[in-house]
Parts: sequence; structure tokens; C-alpha cells
Amino acid sequence: MNKKKIYTIAGISAALILSVILLIIRPTILVYGIQRAGIYAAIALPMALVLGIVHIVNLAHGEMMMVAAYLSYFICTTFGIDPLVAAIPTGIIMFFLGLIIFKTSIAHTLEAPELNQLILTFGVAMVLSQSVNLIATSQPRKISLDYVSASATIGDVSFGIYDFIFPVLAALFLAVLIYFLKKTRLGKAASAVGQNPRGARIVGINVDLTYTIIFSLASMIIGVFGSFFITKFSIFPAVGGTFTMKSFALVAMAGIGNLPMVIGASLVLGLAESLVMSVPHGAGWSPMIFFGLIIIVILSRSFRSKQ
Amino acid sequence: MSKKLSALTMMLIVLFSSVFFLTSCKGKEEKPAEPIKFGGIWPLGDITGDQAAKAAQLVVDELNANGGLMGRPVELIVIDSELNPEKGAAAVERLATVEKVDFFVGGMSSGVHLGQIPALKKYKKVTMWTGAASSTAETAVGEGQDWYFHLHPWDYNQGNSYVEGWDDIAAKFSNISIDRWFLAYEEGPFGSASFAATQTLFSDMEIDGEAFQSAALGGGDYTAVLQRAKDYNPDVFIWAGYAADALPIMEQAKAVNFTPPLFIGAPPGWPSDFGDSALAENVTLYGMWAPSISKVSAVSKKFQDAYEAKYGETPATYFAPLGYTSIEIIAKAVEAAGSVETEAVIKALKAIQYESPLGETISFSPSNVISNQGFRNQKILQWQNGNQEVIWPFEFATAEPAYPFTR
Repeated sequence: MNKKKIYTIAGISAALILSVILLIIRPTILVYGIQRAGIYAAIALPMALVLGIVHIVNLAHGEMMMVAAYLSYFICTTFGIDPLVAAIPTGIIMFFLGLIIFKTSIAHTLEAPELNQLILTFGVAMVLSQSVNLIATSQPRKISLDYVSASATIGDVSFGIYDFIFPVLAALFLAVLIYFLKKTRLGKAASAVGQNPRGARIVGINVDLTYTIIFSLASMIIGVFGSFFITKFSIFPAVGGTFTMKSFALVAMAGIGNLPMVIGASLVLGLAESLVMSVPHGAGWSPMIFFGLIIIVILSRSFRSKQ
Repeated sequence: MSKKLSALTMMLIVLFSSVFFLTSCKGKEEKPAEPIKFGGIWPLGDITGDQAAKAAQLVVDELNANGGLMGRPVELIVIDSELNPEKGAAAVERLATVEKVDFFVGGMSSGVHLGQIPALKKYKKVTMWTGAASSTAETAVGEGQDWYFHLHPWDYNQGNSYVEGWDDIAAKFSNISIDRWFLAYEEGPFGSASFAATQTLFSDMEIDGEAFQSAALGGGDYTAVLQRAKDYNPDVFIWAGYAADALPIMEQAKAVNFTPPLFIGAPPGWPSDFGDSALAENVTLYGMWAPSISKVSAVSKKFQDAYEAKYGETPATYFAPLGYTSIEIIAKAVEAAGSVETEAVIKALKAIQYESPLGETISFSPSNVISNQGFRNQKILQWQNGNQEVIWPFEFATAEPAYPFTR
């Protein structure tokens, strides 16, 4: 058995033991940790796809989610439909919005230094948030939905159950993406482009088209998530920024291009945050735990690769 | 040649005569009176600033419809502070130097105001401020600034009125218990200051609290803090966050089955559609005004009717009547003084008894630091059947408190 397998088994065992302990001590920590992890994973997966294949750190990631959330909000309020239904048209619109953003801006900086790409996508983020601010104002908006308050009681413990939709959504995103990348011709081509764009071009793969499709596909997933986002959160023009940072941190923790590990990283961070927040006056420590864990993981990976 | 010269001379004479005639005729026309200018600064992207600016324009229109002030038209120039201290300060400079306004009005957010105070002190024009509750801003203004008039209660005024209000309510309604408090507060300066102030003000009560990350700052998950509050089993639960937290916190409280007897929200502003949600029912809140006050105040009703007729919407925030007050109170002082000179207007404002659309009749008197403080009390309100009803002070009460909070 090689070292990697030993590490994997040890990690899974540790996570299982911790989960059982949490379940016994305070089951809500486990419940809220998994729900939180689902949100993180669902928003980080499209960034992992773009970063893994197109190799672009999209700093407009959270702002695109914010735009999708507003689109969904206006679709819901205009046509009187549920956000979960609005996810379909929102996803389609975001596919084309992603396509336009990619073709008009990002596509022109693929060969440029990474700093240029960062500044460009940061600019796109600013344009998106300021445009929404001008159109919709900074007033927070939220659709009131009865089903998001659904709860379950086990013994004397009550907890919300609607938020389990986020882990389910993340698992669905992951399954669809893995199927796309492993089983479809375009997905296989995208994997090849992600590994070696020059080689892929030589063997006849249309690299530009692959990049465009992948970015648009990621935008579509962001669009679907945006619709789910408004069921739980208020939306306002600045709501996306934090999710860009968290998504990037999760992808870095999981390893660039490693989609399944995004779920694992989200679980570790979600449970850690939930555990810290359950301690009296521990809420203020949760952002530090989030980024502290990421520093530890990246540093340990770096030391391992040196050895 | 001489013929041509004569013709040219004649033409020039005709031309000059025409110009002279036209100029002399114009000179006989009455020169239009210079407008009296108000410079307003509010965050227009926020409902508070948007409605305050609209209400201020409403007074200006009413004044102009009645012949203006001292026979002069009135003009309001509004600049968006965008809730940004630098932009707020730049707006003061622009209004003073480019627009050359006579009076400053406006204000929402203590942070923005702290950035504006140095510029306001530079020009020392009569200033009627609608926002900024932080006493840090009061200290920054300092003593002896007679040109500065502050309408919004300071934080300590608000705190004192909450203590007085809850004591009155508990004394009048013996079934209401307020001995055990839990405060969920956003982890920034606003929430932390609220928690510290609550601990000081209600020092004879049992108080515990827990911070949360506001949705406005990247958070939005309140389950942990709600779970802690539920374990504490308080008589009164207060959350101090922002408008973005309002509906999600109610949804999540319901999901964890947390129903304290009194559920209070204390954000600086509420989402405009919060009352439409069934979850708003029986939530208690603090504020200076609610549309329901029109049931007990004729001045408030007059303001509300005029606002709704002009804009086709209900003024949902107390910044609307505050914005109206800021212009109307200066206009009344100008009429009383018969002048827009700073000293004369200040003297008239110090003597004024103003019946405000917020319900109270106010006059200006010194607060802890500044010379001219207007309002000093907040009101305790409660959402009932989609409306904000006043439950305290009892003189403005439009409903009795619904107790205990149920779903």
C-alpha cells in the first residue's frame, strides 16, 4: 500500500471518528457543518472547473453569482415562479452571459501574464457589482419562502432541514461535471486541454472553443447556484465578493483541478467552522479557522512535495 | 463710395439703436430673484437616503407652490454620499463652493458624517443633520458650534429611551417579563457597540450575547447564535445587524424552533418588503416613526398623504419625515428671521417650537456636547398584520404589545 492510500484512509477514518464524536456530543454541529460545507462546495466547484481547465483565477466569480441571484430574483418576482424553478432560465441566461464575458474580455488575456488576468477579472467584478448597484440599488432583497424554515426534531434537538439541499446540489454538480469530463468527447477534450493546451492543439483539439465552452458551463452552474442562493440569503450588490475569496481558498486547498477534493475540503472547513461557532463566543474565530486551515494544508503540501 | 458709406453708416445706426433699445427694454424687466439653496447629502442607493431626499424635495415643492421663501424660489441640490466618507466630504465641498448653497441638510451613517465634519466646520453654514447616532460624531463636532443642528437622537439618547420604554411597558403590562436578555450582534463596530451599550444600560438584568457574521459582511448563517440563544432561554431576544440579516434570521429562527417571548430586531434600516412576510408578525423594533403614527398625529398624516400623492409609495423609513423636517424647520426659521443670514437663522432656530411629522413637537437644546439637539427619543414599534404599530411611548401608541411572540 503506497503512502497516498495510507494518508487517504487515515484522513477518512479521522473524519468518521470526529463525526461520530460530534454526533454524540452535539449533533447540530454535524448537521450545520454538512449544510455549510454544501454551500461552499456548490459555489467552489465551478471555480475549480475554470481554474483547472482554463487556468484563470476568475475574481468575478462571486459577482457572477450575485448577478445570477438578481436575475433569478427578478424572474421570480416578475413571473411569480419559485427560485428553484427559476434556476433553469437563470442557468441558461448565465451560460450566454459567461460566453459574452469570456469572448469579449478573458479570451484576449489567456496568453498574457497572470497578473493581467487577475486585474481584468477584478475589473469585470467591479463593473458587474456597480452595474447592479445602479440598476437595483444597494437595498437588500430576499424572497420570503415558507419551505426554507422546514425543521426536524430528534429528541430535544430541532434543526433546519432545508439547507441539506446545498450538499445535494454540490453532489449533483460534481456528478454532472465528472460525467461530462470523463464520458463526453468535449469533456475529454477539456481534460486534455487542462493538462496540456499546446499538446491538445497539436492533436487537433479546438482549444479556444473548449475554453469558451468550459467558462460558459461554469457560468451556467454559477447561475443555477445563484437561484438556490436567494432561497437562503439576502442579496445586494456586494454579496458576491466573499464567495470569490472562499471559493478560491477551497480550490487551492483541494488542489487545482481536483474536483472531488473540493467536496472534501468544504467538509473539513464546514465542520471546523461549525465546531468553533458552537463554542460560546467562538463565532468571531470562524473566518480565522477557515483561512488558518487553508494555510496549514497548503504549507504541509508544500513541505511534502519538497521531501 | 459716399453712397455706400452713407448706407453703411445708416445700417450701423439702425443696428446700434436696435441693440440699445432691446437692452434698455430688458433692463426694465424685473430681474428674477436668486433662489434660496439647500444642499442635501444622502445615500441615494439606500432606502433611507432615497426617501429622505424625496421628502425634502416635497417640502421644497410645497414652498415654491406657495410663493417660495421671502418671495424667493427655493432650490434643493442633492448629492449621493454613496455611504462613503470621502464622497460625503467631497459633496460638502461641492455644495459650498460650486453650488454655493445657503444651508446644508442630510445625513445617514455616522461613519460618513465623521468624514464630513471637518468640511462642515470649514464653511459653518447652518446645518440640519438627519443622521449619525454615534456620540463619536458628536465629540467630533465639539462644543460651541452654534451653526450645527442635529435632529437624530444620539446613541445614548436612544439607549435611555429603550430603558425607559421597556420599564414603562413592563410596569403597565404585568405579564411581560424583561429580566433575562440575549443579544445576537454582528461582529463589527456597530454590533459590538450595541452589545456594550445594552450591558451598560440594562445592568440590573441578566444579559448574555453572541456575535455573528452579518450577511452584509459575507456571513448569513445564524444557526449557531440562535442555538446558543435558545439554550439560554431569554425573556427578550434582540439581534443587532443590518437589513440584509432581517428575513434570513427570522427564517432560521423558525427552522431551529426558537420562539422567545419578545423577539426584537435593531438594524439601522429594514428591507422595504419585510412587513409582507408572515415571519414579521409580532417582531418588535425600534424607530422614530411609522406610517401608523398618522392615526394619532395630524401633522404626520398631512406629511404621509402628501408624500404618497407625490411619489405613489408609502414612506417606509423614519428618514422620510426626518428629511422633510430638515428643510421645513429651516424654512420656518428663515420666515421668522426674515433673512437667510446665518446669525439670524440660528437665533430663530434656537427659539423655534416645531410640530414635526414624526409626532413630537421639538425645540433645540444642548445635549452632552453640542448646543442644538432636536429629537431625543426613539419609539418601540411592533409588526402587527403587516404594519409597524407604535407600542411606546403610550401617547403615540397605536396598538398594545402582542405578547408573547408566536409563529
